[in-house]
Order: sequence, then structure tokens, then C-alpha cells
Amino acid sequence: MSWMHRLYETYENCKSMVGKIEDDNQVPLLPICHTTQKAQIEIVIDEDGNFRRAKVIPKKQARTIIPCTEASGGRTSGEAPHPLCDKLQYVAVDYSKFTGSESYYQAFSEHLSDWSKSQDAHPKVLAIFKYVQRGKVIEDLISCKILHVGVDKMLLKKRRETKKDKETIDVFDLLPGRENKKKDRIENWQADAFVRWIVEKEGEECPKTWEDRTLWNKWIDYYSNKKNQRGLCYVTGEEKPYAEQHPAKLRTDGDKAKIISSNDWGGFTFLGRFTDTKENNTYQTCGIGFDVTQKVHSALRWLISRQGVVFYVKDGVKASPALTIVAWAVSGAQIPKPTDDAFAILGEENLVSDESSVVSTAQELALRLKNKIAGYKAGLGDTSSVVIMGLDSATPGRMAITHYTELTGSDFLERLEHWHESCAWIHDYGVIEQKESKKVKRKYVRFVGAPSPKDIAEAAYGSKVDDKLKKATVERILPCIIEGRQVSRDIVESVVHRASNRVGLENWEWNKTLSIACALYRKLNEKEGYSMDLDENRKTRDYLYGRLLAAADCLESFALSLSEKKRPTNAARLMQRFSDRPCDTWKDIELYLTPYKARLGGRAKKYMDVIDRVMSMFDSPDDFTSNKPLSGEFLLGFHCQREKLKPKKNEPQSIDEESVLDKENENI
Amino acid sequence: MNKPNKVEFKVWGKYALFTDPLTKIGGEKCSYHIPTYEALKGIISSVYWKPTIVWIIDKARVMKKIRTQTRSAKPIDYSGGNSLAIYTYLTDVGYQVEAHFEWNKYRFDLEKDRNENKHFFVARRMIEKGGRRDTFLGTRECQGYVEPCRFDEGVSDYDDYGELAFDLMFHGFDYPDESGKPELWARFWRPKMVNGIIDFIRPDKCTIKKFVRKMKAEKIQTDGLGEHGLLEGYVESEVAQ
Repeated sequence: MSWMHRLYETYENCKSMVGKIEDDNQVPLLPICHTTQKAQIEIVIDEDGNFRRAKVIPKKQARTIIPCTEASGGRTSGEAPHPLCDKLQYVAVDYSKFTGSESYYQAFSEHLSDWSKSQDAHPKVLAIFKYVQRGKVIEDLISCKILHVGVDKMLLKKRRETKKDKETIDVFDLLPGRENKKKDRIENWQADAFVRWIVEKEGEECPKTWEDRTLWNKWIDYYSNKKNQRGLCYVTGEEKPYAEQHPAKLRTDGDKAKIISSNDWGGFTFLGRFTDTKENNTYQTCGIGFDVTQKVHSALRWLISRQGVVFYVKDGVKASPALTIVAWAVSGAQIPKPTDDAFAILGEENLVSDESSVVSTAQELALRLKNKIAGYKAGLGDTSSVVIMGLDSATPGRMAITHYTELTGSDFLERLEHWHESCAWIHDYGVIEQKESKKVKRKYVRFVGAPSPKDIAEAAYGSKVDDKLKKATVERILPCIIEGRQVSRDIVESVVHRASNRVGLENWEWNKTLSIACALYRKLNEKEGYSMDLDENRKTRDYLYGRLLAAADCLESFALSLSEKKRPTNAARLMQRFSDRPCDTWKDIELYLTPYKARLGGRAKKYMDVIDRVMSMFDSPDDFTSNKPLSGEFLLGFHCQREKLKPKKNEPQSIDEESVLDKENENI
Repeated sequence: MNKPNKVEFKVWGKYALFTDPLTKIGGEKCSYHIPTYEALKGIISSVYWKPTIVWIIDKARVMKKIRTQTRSAKPIDYSGGNSLAIYTYLTDVGYQVEAHFEWNKYRFDLEKDRNENKHFFVARRMIEKGGRRDTFLGTRECQGYVEPCRFDEGVSDYDDYGELAFDLMFHGFDYPDESGKPELWARFWRPKMVNGIIDFIRPDKCTIKKFVRKMKAEKIQTDGLGEHGLLEGYVESEVAQ
């Protein structure tokens, strides 16, 4: 399908970014036949293979681009060696002397020797081979005090004494822990350390092997020449050498799932009229060019890391990656993420903090978002394509393409804008973290726009929603954003129901759920055309009831704040009942208001005015006296009225803004 | 072939799965957005086919918006047990197809059956009946329904869409009984959909081909009604009017 072609195109368009490591957390766009790995030890040798020095690599610089073969790129345990940089187990001859377990040096050295003898050898490769052959890797590292031995001259399994100096890092800090099943705890196993090389020579501009482009190209040439099976590539339609295996590690570094895998020899999936067997595979079903698949997977991995969203599913203790959504422009231009809410798209620079005296209206905030989205238009151009792809896996070894949509750049931005306009509401839960000296201060910022699918799922089913349900809900909402489909009624009902149950939620969570419910209800009933500001002329029963509740809530809350009591108002307590039986509950609420009205005296006037006005707006007495349960519209009325009744900056606070508690903002 | 023997029909269904070979090998099947030549040929062959004829698909028109839907499946293994997979189907599909037939040059034994009128009228009648055999859109679980229609009638969702070009796609297989060679070949092409209409190229005009494997043609020969022992025990007689 076209996804392979688009990814291939994207790789070709972004060739200038190949190999650039922008962020240590992100995977760079890799040259073909290379992968990335976190290295712990750096060894410096000279051009004749003599050891000079070594050092431990701090975490931030650990990501290294290393050459790999098809087999080693997808290896799981103790098999195919990487061609140049690998773990101590592969690289050191004296491994068994210092640890007592088997070294995999043989396979490693065979491959390396083959490469150094071929016509595509590189002087650095020869130097490294010479050094490795001397067989003193671990010895040298021990003498440098990088690795530590015990009294028995074997490598220590964990740190023997506490560090004297907290600042310097040693190898134990950086090693990936290996679980010792017998002792049931993580052990830092020094031998798992990954080594990378620096070859110093006079006049050498780029001693680091992982940044040397000439070395990359030599490896690519050497490996490509080793491929013998050729045939028609199903992607380009040209004759090319075939790929035998396809890369994994697409969503995360530890992800073993592949999009193209030919592992189904035991099922009924694809054999039939083809006579291939696992041992004798002539690629009758399908063949892809070797460099094509490398480029495609490399581009996909880079895009997912850079601008994709990965949802994890907890499987016992481990959380494994499941649904992944990534959207990108084929030309490589920047585009906003469709799974972001309006706050994330706006970015922190564009938001005005609470300090300013100008309180932005909903229109101004919405306009700011519109301008930001329009700003991407210039970079995209009209004809450039945008691809939105969704991946999911049913089994840990294989991935399926669950969504694939291709749009023109202008179409994509238009639909995104429409989503943020139609499913929009005023939200108050945008968080900016500011570092002031050593503390991290959180500021809550208002924004106008659509909530993110993740937030919608949490609003509908609770913040502790099951991962699989969250994933399924996000998948259902994605077509609403991309294809402009209407949101499903059941999700909206679920959110509205949770928002009506004010006592069941903490204050910040309730406020967030309320604004998300308003946004969704507004989207579901697009033709009604609800406005985000208070609509004084709307006479629908539910809307008016919402306004009544807001007026009662604000009055009581104001009275409570004056007497410095911090208990929930009656309106808050009775909200759930109110939504089920509005008329009866209103009678109770109004009675409860009397002592507060008395306490406030004249200050209660503006609230009483609202209540009186709304009461007179009910079309017919039946509207008011009927006890029919309220739809989500009452939340809209509630929110708008509450906004209107909120005091301006100089008036004393009557709404509980301070009780927006700190919440860990999870990474989307 | 003296007279034009075009047939037109429409086929629709709830789901369709025209599997992309790139995704087939892994088991997580994903559908092409438009039907392959081979799938449409299979549909009209399910409606009516005789070994004398070879169907050639001329054009197809996509009537409904292309929508995909994923469903989970439990495919069964040879050795019992099952694995899990996610299939991406096209949902709510409808196509109008125009096709015609030609004689299968390699069946010399059926020369006497090369009666244009007969095959044409029976094919038309079978389309009206909805087909002799089950029709399915790509894979067997996607049931399809066939009805007669005129090719350009009705409004499609892509009437004013313009041109949409697709990348390399599977076209069909060259089987030994229709190609005359004991080899199985796969054909590919780059389709273009203009206002919803896809003009298929003829199989012999496909330039991008791949040799799959050697395949023996089944040497079936038949004498038709003259077959030995077919009418044994039956006597011809006049029917009283």
C-alpha cells in the first residue's frame, strides 16, 4: 500500500537530517544498515590499534549510531553480533577469563575480519580490528579503573563500596540492570556494558566512529554487496537485492514487533498457492528491496520518536507499546499533532499567564489558536501530502496498520481547525511548569480549543481507566478529528454523566471533566450552535436549569468564602440529584440558600437577579415543573453562567480557584 | 469475436479485503483502497464462467467513499491453536464494473463451445439472478452482492474528485491455463482513479511482472456432451406438445 511509498519519499526528502542527533531522548533519522544503541564505555585507540584511554559515557551522550546487519538489528539474545561496536561479551577475547561465562568473540571477530579484508574496509575498522585481536580489552579497562574486579580477579556483580564522590559517575550507574531470577533483584552486570570506539590519528577530523560519514558509507557498500538474492521490489517496481529480514524497534527501543514479518509459516495466512518453505524461501509471495525497507523503517522509527504518540498497555508488570499514532508531512515540514489538545498546539510562548491585567475572552484565545494553525500553512504549501498512520499490535511480534489516511496539507489543517473550532470550550487545566531556583512552579493557564483524545478517554471513563479501553476510545475519536466524523453518542453520554457527579470527583478533576463534557456536547449538537459565552436569549429548559444551578452555587460559594469556611456548597452536593430530578431538587436548593442570602444582604443582589431573570424565561410552567432528567445541555448553561458570575480581578475571590490541586501531568 | 459482449454490473458489500501482499506475509492483513483486477475477475467468474472464456475487466467505478475499519481476528494455525491478528478492511463498499470476455486460446477442445451469443446471454441472465456462486470481495468472509446496472448511472462519492494516483499495486496472476506457459507470474501496475473510474489495463499489457514459480497446467480435456458414458441410459425422444 502507499504507506511504504510515502515513507520512502519522506526519507528521501529528509536526507539532510540523516544522522543528526537532536535530542538524546529521540531517535535520529538513521542511515540504512545502522541502528542506535545506548553505549556506556568509550575506548580511544590510535590508528595502530594501541589503547590510549577510556571513559564512561554520561547518560545524555549515550545514544550512538552503530552499523548493524539485518540479523543483529532484530536480535533478542546472544546471537548475531553487530559488526563494529558491541557489548563486552562480543568484543573482548578475555571475557571468559574475567567473568566465567562464554564469550561471543568468535562470531564478532569473523565478521569484522571479513569486513577489514574486503575492498570496502576503512582505516578505522582496521585499527579497531587490530586492537580487538590483541585480546586485552577488559584488562585495559580494568587498569583504567573503568571496570572493577573483586579479590578473585573476576568482574564484580555490583558495587562493592559506596561511592566516595557523589558527582562522578561510574559504570554501575549507567548499566542496564539484568534480572537475576534466582535472587529476584536487579543486578548491575558490568559485562553488559556496550562499547563504542574513537580512533585518533593525526589530521583526523572526525575521530568518533559514530559520527564519521565515510565509515557509514563504507559499511553500507560492504553490506549491500553481500546481498545475492535479487528480484522485483514490490514497492518501487524495480529489480533490487532483496531484504531477508525487516527491522524491528519501531515504537520504542525495546519493541520487538515488526510491520513486515514473514513468521507465519505455521498458519494458513499466506501459503496456499506458494510453495516457499522456511528453509527454502525464494520470496514468492512478496519481495522488497533491501535499501527500500531500511529507509522506510528508519523513517518510520524517526517519525514516531519525533512526533508520534505511543499508548502503552500494562501486561502484568511491564508496559508494552500498543497503539501508536503518527502524523507527518511527506516533505518533512512541521505539522501540528492531531492528538494534541489546543494547549499543546499553541505552545507555551503564545499563552499569556494570569499575571496580565488583560483577561482574554474566549474569542481572542480561539483566534490565537487559529492563527497558530494557519502559520503551518506557509511551511506546508498546498500540494504537500500529510499522512496519518495508526499502528497497533495484537501479538508482541507483529504490528498491524490500523489507520492510514493521506490528505493534502491544506485539507489536514482545515480539518484540524474545524475540530478545534467545533469541539471547543474554555478549558482551565493547561499547565506551564516554570523553574524558579530549585523549585518547579506550576501555573494554570486557560486555553480555548478541543481536548486531546487521551483526556476525553479519561474524562469518559475515569483517570484510572484501563489501558485497553483508553486505547480503544482514542481510536474511536481519531476519525472525528481526521475525517470530520461525528463523535459517538456513548462517549459523550459517559462524560456528561461523570461531570454531573460532582461529589464523586476531586475539584480539579471535576472542573476538567466539566469543560471536556461541554466541548463534546457542543460538538455532538453542532447544529444547535452553542456559544461559549453566556447566551441570554436561550430558552431551552436544560440550559436555564444549568444557569439556575450556577447562580445558586456562586451565591453560596461567595457567602462561604466571606466567612472563610471551606465546605462544598449545597448546589455542589446536590448536582447529581439535580440532573436527575431538577424541579424537586431546585426547591431544596432554594430553601438552603435562605441563610446565605440573609448573611450577604445587599451583596446577594446580582445572584438573585440572575435567578429571577432565568425563572421568568421558562417558556411554560410545565417546562419548569416537569421532573424529566436533564441532558448535557445543562452543563453548558452551568459553565457559561458560572463564568459570567465569576468576580473580576479586583473583587474578592468567590470561586475556588486555589483548590485546583497539583496533578502529575502524564506525558501524552 | 464479432459483436461487443460487454456486461455491466454492480457489486457491493459490507466489508472488503483486497489484501496487500506486503502485509499478507506477516498475517496482519491490510486492504488496498481499490479492488485489484484479479478480485473483480474473480467476482464476475463467480457470477458466470466456463473454461471456454476468459473474462477481461475493462473499468470499475468506485461508488462509495473509501473507508477502512479494523477488526481483530483469531486465525487458526495448522497445528491447532490460534494466534491473534488485526485485519484492516474496507467498509461499506460499492463498485460498478464493466467487463467483457474473450475465448481462451489454449483450450482447443472447446472450440465447438465458442458461441458468443450463448455465453453473453447466459452471463447477462446470471447477473440478473445475482450470480451462480457466492461472490466475495477479496477474501471469503467479505460477502458481496451482484446486480445488473448501467455503468454510468447513479451518483458516486467521487464524481468530482479529480485524479487520484496510486502506487505500485498488484494486478493479477498469470495462471498456466490462461497463459499457456507452465509458470505462475504475478503482474503489477500503477492505477489511476479519475473521478472515481479506474481504467484497468489488459493483462498482456502489464509491463511489471514477477516470476513466482513453476506451475503445471492441469491438462483437462473435455468432449462436452459427447463425453463417453455421460448420456448412458438416456434415450432421445420427442416431447408431446
